[in-house]
Amino acid sequence: MATLNTSTTQPALSFDPIAHLWRATFAAMACQCELLLVVDDEATAHAAATSAIDEVRRIEHKYSRYRPESIVSQINQNAGQSDAIAVDDETAQLLNFADQLFTASDGLFDITSGVLRRAWDFKSHRLPDAHLLAETVALIGWDRVDWNGARIALPTPDMEIDFGGFGKEYAADRAATRLAEMGIANALVNLGGDVRALGNRSAGADFEPWQLGIRHPRLSDATLASIPLANTALATSGDYERFIEIGGQRYCHILNPKTGWPVQHWQSVSVVSPVCIAAGALATIAMLKGETALSFLREEGVAFLAVDAEGRVASSER
Amino acid sequence: MAVIDSSSSAAKKFGSITLAALALPGVCITPANADTPPEAAVVSFKVQGYNDWQPGLDRIKVTAPALYAMAPFAGVWSIETSLVQDSVSGASPRWHSSISSASNMQDRRTAADVKVSRYFDRATVGLRASTSTEDDYRSNAIALEARMSSADNNTTWMIGAGLTRDTINPTNELVVNEKKRVTDVMIGVTQAWTKNDLVQLNLSHVRGRGYFSDPYKLVDKRPRERDQTIALLRWNHFHEASETTFRTSYRYYSDTFGIRAHTLQTEWVKPLGDRFTITPSARYYTQRAANFYFDPIYDPVIGEPFPVGKPKFSSADTRLSSFGAITLGAKLDWRIDSRWSADVKYERYEQRSGWRLGGNGSPGIATFRAQIWQVGVTRTF
Repeated sequence: MATLNTSTTQPALSFDPIAHLWRATFAAMACQCELLLVVDDEATAHAAATSAIDEVRRIEHKYSRYRPESIVSQINQNAGQSDAIAVDDETAQLLNFADQLFTASDGLFDITSGVLRRAWDFKSHRLPDAHLLAETVALIGWDRVDWNGARIALPTPDMEIDFGGFGKEYAADRAATRLAEMGIANALVNLGGDVRALGNRSAGADFEPWQLGIRHPRLSDATLASIPLANTALATSGDYERFIEIGGQRYCHILNPKTGWPVQHWQSVSVVSPVCIAAGALATIAMLKGETALSFLREEGVAFLAVDAEGRVASSER
Repeated sequence: MAVIDSSSSAAKKFGSITLAALALPGVCITPANADTPPEAAVVSFKVQGYNDWQPGLDRIKVTAPALYAMAPFAGVWSIETSLVQDSVSGASPRWHSSISSASNMQDRRTAADVKVSRYFDRATVGLRASTSTEDDYRSNAIALEARMSSADNNTTWMIGAGLTRDTINPTNELVVNEKKRVTDVMIGVTQAWTKNDLVQLNLSHVRGRGYFSDPYKLVDKRPRERDQTIALLRWNHFHEASETTFRTSYRYYSDTFGIRAHTLQTEWVKPLGDRFTITPSARYYTQRAANFYFDPIYDPVIGEPFPVGKPKFSSADTRLSSFGAITLGAKLDWRIDSRWSADVKYERYEQRSGWRLGGNGSPGIATFRAQIWQVGVTRTF
């Protein structure tokens, strides 16, 4: 096992002789992240991992709402002003994608819903103040945002957008593209559970699909299913990431932007799609859709695994 | 432990969100040209029919059942094989408009080929051997082809070479055990221009030596050498709003017989709902006659058409004349379920001297029409 460097900018790289792959671990986007690279030599693995991690950090940096210079912060700081902010092409395409998600989800996926954080504090054991919750819900509404494909203006002060709903998934896809551009045919990008597979894993002389375990939503060390991934992506949205429990009722961090209240119907939804950003968005929308989630996912033509509030499993395999 | 099959989603049609995501910058590895080993075996059975006619005369009728099978093995290999049998019946090709009777012919051709491919990370190598037998014609061929993709998968290079050996024994014994040897080389490059555009250029050179004449035609004497040069330029464009793929191609053909030909083709692949795809197509072909082609015009004195003087080479085969042709067709594909699919195709071909571009077509040839139909069923395992 060779470890090159463990500083935050350099990948911590190790060779797994059994799986015959290089593993690079790093922390980004408030998550533990991992790259698995099926390559023979360390130099290639190092160069590819560095390039992919650079890309993840670039996206984290560009779209962080904590950094005042980020484009997202600039847009939010400008909320309520009459002049619109011009955005670069990449941001424009992501805003267009957000617009498509809003329309396709009948307004359930809304990048202006982050303001609900002001009412919900998942570190405390209190439900939000009803008045404050109503005020924040009133701030939500992508349909009120002035977005013309090149310039954006948020109509009221205190309104804000964030890319938390798909930023990490987007980074996983872009990192995978970087690896492919570096000539890597078989690799796995895992950014805190948002996964994009390139090719397959090596299994002796052959190649087999990557195998991803789906966490059981109620048993943190048990897996519920195994999903083979080859050139596809997987994302899971669950009610177990951040939640508070009051009087036996679980209040999770996936909040309906129309009511401000957490979703109840599903414990978790996992989606397999060609790209991670679609898988992540679809899993979140499915959580928000409740009962109609399965028909929605079937219409989208993706494979899925959903666990309802009673722990029953539904999947795209009938 | 539940297992969900993520690969089955690949065949499905994705919804608007997935399609929107695929269009995001840098999310998708641009149209992968790299061949990947097939994951499932495929068997298909098709029947193709062909018949052609000229005004007042039904000519050739062909029915050809064909079986195709492909199976992956050992992870990085695949083997393909196909078997086709043509039954040809009808009048022998009438090469001009003024013969009143036509002798009948009956022929049967059996052809088989087998191709083995080896898939590497960014390359594929394939070896194909084929054979075809008729009463009077036997052909054996072998071809080797290699494809390689760039690291970013945006560019694919192709190189191929082939050798064909034919033996000709016409029933009229005009010639016995005549031979034809053809070697060909091909190079090509495919470039993903944008996310939705693919451009391809193929160049081939074919060198043929041996018997090229038609033993059943009067005064048909062709050179024993024929070299061909072919350039093919293709452009495939996916139009997102209509989910339609437009395939357009131009082909230039030139040979040492003196024929110069141009083909312009376009087809639109359009999904109809979740299960059907319709592909209308149109093709325009125009060619200049071979140097030794003579017009099959009756002479009031001599009678039957005959070449002027005593030329070294001559032929009145319409296929060597100057003409233009238009083919219109459509194909309907039906994805019945994840295992079964079916297709039907119909094409209508019309060839006229007057449709030649940039010159007069050869005189004295009646309009030639043909239709081609095909029905097929495919099962994936």
